[in-house]
Amino acid sequence: MIPARFCTFSEPLSYPEAVLLQERLVRSRIRDEIQDTLLLLQHPPVITLGRRGRTDFVRADDETLQRAGIALHTSSRGGDVTYHAPGQWVLYPVLKLGPAEMGTHGYLNALEEIAIRTARSFGIEAFRREGKAGGWCDQGKFAAIGFKFTRWVTWHGMSLNVKPDLRGFDLIIGCGLQGERVCSFESVLGADCPDMNRVAETLRNCCGSILRRELTTVSVEDL
Amino acid sequence: MQVPEELKYTESHEWIRVEGDRCRVGITEFAQSQLADLTFVDLPEVGSTVSAGDEVAVVESVKAASDVYSPLSGEILEVNENLSGSPERINEDSFGEGWLFVLKPENPADLDGLLDAAAYRALLPSE
Repeated sequence: MIPARFCTFSEPLSYPEAVLLQERLVRSRIRDEIQDTLLLLQHPPVITLGRRGRTDFVRADDETLQRAGIALHTSSRGGDVTYHAPGQWVLYPVLKLGPAEMGTHGYLNALEEIAIRTARSFGIEAFRREGKAGGWCDQGKFAAIGFKFTRWVTWHGMSLNVKPDLRGFDLIIGCGLQGERVCSFESVLGADCPDMNRVAETLRNCCGSILRRELTTVSVEDL
Repeated sequence: MQVPEELKYTESHEWIRVEGDRCRVGITEFAQSQLADLTFVDLPEVGSTVSAGDEVAVVESVKAASDVYSPLSGEILEVNENLSGSPERINEDSFGEGWLFVLKPENPADLDGLLDAAAYRALLPSE
C-alpha cells in the first residue's frame, strides 16, 4: 500500500482557492516533496466549465447567477459543465500514478467505484453507465467526474451529491448531457439520508481500499 | 506497443522526428492508449516561442485532460490543423497523421538530451 495523506475540510473552500491549493500540491508531488494527498471538501455555490468551456451548457445569464450567489469559473479539468454547492462532497486526489495505474480508463473506473461503493453502503442501488461517466442510480446521476493529469499526477476529481440544493443543477446542462436527471442521497433516501460526516468517513475508506493507499489524516494547516 | 527506432522521445511521452532543421512532435502510442479516445486538442500558436518543458498543448478524452510538453526550446512553425475536427487521428495514428506541431529548435544540440527508442522503451510498463 502506498502511503497518502487525507484531509477533510470542515469549512467550504472557494473554487479558486481549491485550484491554487491543488496546483501547489501537484508541483510538490511531481518533485516528490510530499506524499500522495487527497482533499475532501465542499465548495460555496459555483458553476465550473471544463476546458472545452461550452457556455451554452449554462442556462442562466451572469445577472441571474449573481443574484443567486453562484460564481462561474472555467477549469483546467476534463469534462463539461458542473455545479458544486455545500451538501456535496468534492474529492480531489493528488496522486502520482504508478506505471500499472496510469491511464484514463483505470483512474476513471476507480473514481466511479468510490462513488458507487459509497452510495451502495447507504442502501442506494448505484451503477455505472457505459459512455456516461459518473455515479448513477435509477433516480439519476449523483456523482460527476472530471480530472486532469499533469505529468501523470492527478488533480480535480469527483463530486458526490449528499444533500445539496439541487435547484442549482437546473441552471446547467450537467456534463453536457441533455435530459439526464441529477439526484442526491437525500432525494433518493429522504429522511434516511446520512449526515455529511458519515458519508465523508465512507468515502475515505473507499479511497483507501480502491486506490490502494494507506491513508493518514492530516489537518488543513499541514497541507 | 510501437516505439519507432528513428524517433527521439521524452520521459513525458512525446516523440520527436528530426526533419532537417525542424522537429515534428506528437504523443506516443503509449500516451494515446493511456488517455483513451481523445475528443479535444488545444494546440500552441504558430510563431510562439516555447521553452523545453513548457505546457504547450492539451489533449482531452471524455473526462480527462492532460498536458503535452515541448521537448525542446524553440519556435512553433506549424500546428496540425486537421486535428481540431478529428482529434481521434491521434488515437489512430499517433506517430503519423496524429502529429501535433512542428518546431524549430533554438539549439540543435539540445536534441542530444532526448531519449532514443531503447531508453524510452525501458520506461514503459512491461506488457
